[in-house]
Amino acid sequence: MAKVKVATAWLDACAGCHMSFLDLDEALIGLANAIEITASPITDIKEFSPVDVGIIEGAVGNAHDEEVAKNLRANCKILMVWGDCACFGGIVSMRNLFTTEEVLQRYYSTESTAKGSNIPSSEDLPPLTEVKPINQVVKVDCYVPGCPPSSKAIHYALTELLEGRIPILPSEIMRFD
Amino acid sequence: MNDITLTINGKQVKGKAGDTVLEICQANSIDVPTLCHLEGLSDVGACRMCVVEIEKERRPVPACTYPARDGLVVKTNTERLERYRRQILELIFTEHNHFCMFCEQSGDCELQKLAYRYQMDHVRYPYTFPSLSVDSLSDYLVIDHNRCILCGRCLRACSEVAASHTLSFSQRGWKTLVSADLEQSVGESSCLLCGACVQACPTGAIFNKINLYKGKTDECQQIKTVCPACGVGCELNALVKDNNLVRIEAPSLVDPRGALCRIGRFGLLEPTPPRITSPLLRGGQGELEECSLDSAVEVIGMRLAAAKGNFAGMISTRIPNEILSLFNKFISEVVGSDSIDTLDGESYRIISEGIKQFQNNGKGLGIECPIESILEADCIIVVGADPESANPIVSTLVRRAVSQRKTKLIVIDPSRDVFPLWTDLWLKPRVGSEGVLLSGLTKVLIDKGLVVPEKTKAELVQSVGGYEIGEVVRTTGIEKERLELVAEIYGRAECGVIIYGEELLKRHDASLVTTILNLANITGNQVGDKLRVISLKPCANSRGAWELGLAKGIKQDKPKALYLLLADELVGDELLSWLRRIDFLVVQASYHSPATSIADVVLPSPIWAEREGKYVSMDGRVLESKQVLQLKDGLPQDREILIEISKKLGRELS
Repeated sequence: MAKVKVATAWLDACAGCHMSFLDLDEALIGLANAIEITASPITDIKEFSPVDVGIIEGAVGNAHDEEVAKNLRANCKILMVWGDCACFGGIVSMRNLFTTEEVLQRYYSTESTAKGSNIPSSEDLPPLTEVKPINQVVKVDCYVPGCPPSSKAIHYALTELLEGRIPILPSEIMRFD
Repeated sequence: MNDITLTINGKQVKGKAGDTVLEICQANSIDVPTLCHLEGLSDVGACRMCVVEIEKERRPVPACTYPARDGLVVKTNTERLERYRRQILELIFTEHNHFCMFCEQSGDCELQKLAYRYQMDHVRYPYTFPSLSVDSLSDYLVIDHNRCILCGRCLRACSEVAASHTLSFSQRGWKTLVSADLEQSVGESSCLLCGACVQACPTGAIFNKINLYKGKTDECQQIKTVCPACGVGCELNALVKDNNLVRIEAPSLVDPRGALCRIGRFGLLEPTPPRITSPLLRGGQGELEECSLDSAVEVIGMRLAAAKGNFAGMISTRIPNEILSLFNKFISEVVGSDSIDTLDGESYRIISEGIKQFQNNGKGLGIECPIESILEADCIIVVGADPESANPIVSTLVRRAVSQRKTKLIVIDPSRDVFPLWTDLWLKPRVGSEGVLLSGLTKVLIDKGLVVPEKTKAELVQSVGGYEIGEVVRTTGIEKERLELVAEIYGRAECGVIIYGEELLKRHDASLVTTILNLANITGNQVGDKLRVISLKPCANSRGAWELGLAKGIKQDKPKALYLLLADELVGDELLSWLRRIDFLVVQASYHSPATSIADVVLPSPIWAEREGKYVSMDGRVLESKQVLQLKDGLPQDREILIEISKKLGRELS
């Protein structure tokens, strides 16, 4: 049987969901027989080709995130999102409580340890936008919440997909933290 | 109440007329999700999680507020209802900040549990991200408005359980907030810090500030025991993880004695002075040095023998009956002294003398009524007592009576009104003139004919005969009209309760107690063989110790030697300066304190949570306390130390 093609993307988030995926440990070997990862922050391949399953970690926090989300959506049959940021907005959406200026000012004037740190400005930098969960930008087919989702939850979701079912996490596995 | 029959989910179930649909569901183990409902509080139908379908109703209705009727046909679990419930959850999640990963209550949150139950893996509505404040100025609790779902459980707990009425909703619509008084910080409001709201809050909107992140409910063992903080004798639920006290909760918000106060819920968790972890002996250099229990016992044995009976014992009344009895035996049989007292013995001697003088009464403290009588009162007189600081649950009961029954509250106190927001009348007699005031009040009651004639003995009439009203007014500084008004209110009350306490006992005048008992007696404020009078007692087991006869009093002005079993109590300055005059002082205590620093021998002692035994509440209930924490580092129980010393003296103590 041909392997299921999967592409993953990492948007506005901490990478914890991908870490949790790697935490599958020996179960990864079994999955490797069933899926092929064509693009992922883990492989550092960022160009999407058409895949069966697209996976997004993180919320949409700037114009670039939005473009990636739309691009992956266009290239996949089923879009799954991982983690509270992608499902709900999560911790990164806390900045929605403030204006972008306030957030940048706070970061570059008090938190950043970089020398002579000024708010960077360049045409190449995508401006920050209001943080949104993925389903407010593109259609999402299944959700794996958690901060990060446990590797058990990720494994459950992937296995369900491989069995041909759209996964909804059972209450016992679902966690928001 | 008549039985009614309903059909719920196709099954016939019985209930009582007057029950809500939710109550009948719960009584019949039919699961209906709830969020704003909490046992012990009134229902308001705020959250709509408990919506059910009722035949002939046009739309779903909240089960918690819908009165059940005979013949109702109810459905609780249709696909439509489950869809609505999930939708309600999604809307709640979009309204404020309900991201769990940085919430203290994650794992203990009812909103989160419901979201898991309804497999809420995403939200279909835009989030509102309102910018709300966090109020952490209070000593014991934090209000994080971002976590609030406006279910109103906290405000109902504040008014119905604590009777404090501090919390309410302010603003309207989207802007609605739980607010203390008029949008004040809770630390600066009329909040009494009882923490009923903390326990009632289903989310992380109001939480306990002093034991953050110590453990979740599921990780804790729960042990029901007796609160050691005062004589009310509340039951408390101690949550323990890895031999650490994580949290204290009220086992029930329904029972007034289970509501807990700031001391029981938070005070017991506060940092304590360093523990005594080993026996200490004053060495050659005059410094306290660690020593073995054996050598400490040796020194005590020697000095005991040398003191030849000029040796006294004193004990804290935070200690349960078993150790009190053993200590009594230790002093009388092993030490051979009849000089024994409790730290609060003086209060006892005044109260018991006052009761004895009252018609030669031999019943002792049994003449006082249970504190629940306060809830039935239509007039309460608080004289020389500060229940909010001494026995906060008593003050809760007073506030409940005033707010629920429009009870008249009269405070008699020379210096301050102890219920500033609640008092109807504050009489401010000159210091020391309370006796004249109370006797004057007795006379006014008699003169006005507001007394039960057969209970008003001629001797009493004669003894207050001299309290001519003009003289009473001059001595006390209280206007005649106010005195008469108090007489009218108390005299005409169906159920008048008098509460007195420490401030009054400070006058060292037993006749004040007698006068109070007389007042209750002549006005017919009697239930069975008890008068509606309550004396506030300072410690958890004051009454137990007093009734066991430990408050005999120290016979000598200055005994040669004193054995002070202090446990986890601390001593005041007055006692401390008396202790300084004693040649040989043994202090058995849980904590390092000024008292241990002047002792010749210091012995360790468990704290309340490390012991078990019987307590007697201030109104005579016998309560069984459980050991909540294990003693660390092989520290002995008080019992073992007393037995060791007795052995050294060649006596057996059991």
